[in-house]
Amino acid sequence: MKLSYIIREGIIGISRSRMPFMNSVFSVTIALVFVGIGILSVDNGLQYIGDLQADYDLEIFLNNESGMKETRQIAAIITEYPGILRVEYLSKEDAAALYNAEFGEDVLSLLDDNPLPSSFRVNFDENHRSIAYIQSFIQSMEFLEGVDEVMFKKDLFDRVQGIMQKVYTIAAAALFLIILSTVFLTANNLRLMILARYEFIEAVRLLGASDFMVKAPFFLEGGILGFLGGIIAVLIIIGLETALDVYQIIDLPIRIMNYPEVILGLILFGISLSALGVLKSVRRMLRFVA
Amino acid sequence: MISFDNVHLRFDTGISLRDLNFDIEKNEFVYLYGPSGSGKTSILKLIYMDLFPNDGQVKVLGHVSTGIKRRDIARIRQRIGMVFQKFRLLSDRDIYSNIALPLEIQGHKSNEIRRKVVHVADELGLHSRLHHFPHELSGGEQQRVALARSTVNSPDIILADEPTAHLDEKASAEVMEWIWKIHAGGTSVLFATHKEHILKQEPARTISIDSGEIIQDRSV
Repeated sequence: MKLSYIIREGIIGISRSRMPFMNSVFSVTIALVFVGIGILSVDNGLQYIGDLQADYDLEIFLNNESGMKETRQIAAIITEYPGILRVEYLSKEDAAALYNAEFGEDVLSLLDDNPLPSSFRVNFDENHRSIAYIQSFIQSMEFLEGVDEVMFKKDLFDRVQGIMQKVYTIAAAALFLIILSTVFLTANNLRLMILARYEFIEAVRLLGASDFMVKAPFFLEGGILGFLGGIIAVLIIIGLETALDVYQIIDLPIRIMNYPEVILGLILFGISLSALGVLKSVRRMLRFVA
Repeated sequence: MISFDNVHLRFDTGISLRDLNFDIEKNEFVYLYGPSGSGKTSILKLIYMDLFPNDGQVKVLGHVSTGIKRRDIARIRQRIGMVFQKFRLLSDRDIYSNIALPLEIQGHKSNEIRRKVVHVADELGLHSRLHHFPHELSGGEQQRVALARSTVNSPDIILADEPTAHLDEKASAEVMEWIWKIHAGGTSVLFATHKEHILKQEPARTISIDSGEIIQDRSV
């Protein structure tokens, strides 16, 4: 019965203070839209920078004398090496085709033989994409029978990694500031919402409601408020992404719908922000009336 | 039931209550009489533990004010009915919801709440007003609603803080009649007032207070 009291009071509380409740939903929504856009901007930015990097991290050129058997053995060693994301084999013919596409000349018609070597293009996964790890990989490859040379564009790799590191740091600081300002913005609105319920808090306190019984309906109300704010924020972000598509302003590689964890995170953040904000305001109010 | 033992209460603005000593027994009706600002409301607040003495101790329904836990304060308040001069009804709820609130807080079943609310509303002549809102009622009726709310859970004590202060003579008489009826049912009453004629109409033990000191404790 006490549980039904908490649920009923939580829901009745919303209907009895519709305007302050809607104001609070609005402020939580705005806050979450900022947080969501912040997260997606960082992800999209990092994706864009990552695209600037070469299609592959390094290229392993094979001796012209290497046969199919040797090539297969090298391919197996590369594939089984920890941290390898993708391996692409380019035959001598593929290399010639690439050369022709780049320089507009048929190299095979100028020479009797195709001098271009076959190669493997290798990508590392995010967890293993560091200079030290890649260099130790290069060392172990250079000793393999059939490998002629390993080419690693260290300068470009270094620069992209450096930019990504800076973006991570700036994004983390920006997100922290956004979250901090959303907490303040929301807390202020929640405080006003609770202030409007002073009469109720004072009455139930004098009628013998424990602190838990005073706070619980507001906690529930805050949770509902945050949930609504989260859902609306996600819908607004989807709307903004659609608008970017319709007006062809920018083609985003990463969208919120591809990230259920971001959607869930925003809703959970909204719920906890509101529920805890409400709880803090009620606690302050209880101290005040006492 | 209620016991004040060398109670002193000091506010930042100066001392409010000095060396209060008195007991109120079960089924007693006691007037707390004194002019405005004499400390009557502070005494009531000490009883429902909204204020705590700086020295001495207050004992209410077996609980001592010194070091009391917040959940015990809530338990004490569940056994005390409070009536204030400004009624303190929830303006956004109808009369039924206002009266039912203490029972809901205590976790009574809904059919039991309905039965008790209807019963107390019948007793206080409020049955036809159950689905009205406080602003639709006269001052006397609102005070009866406050009385109904404070008695619906059969409290051990009623604390009445100038409940007739804002009422006309007829409404005052009605409220007094109800409070005496509730007392006749076995509830202790501590009735704070500054109106001398009330004491004469229905004589009872009277604790007179002035400037925070008990100047007389006179039994009938």
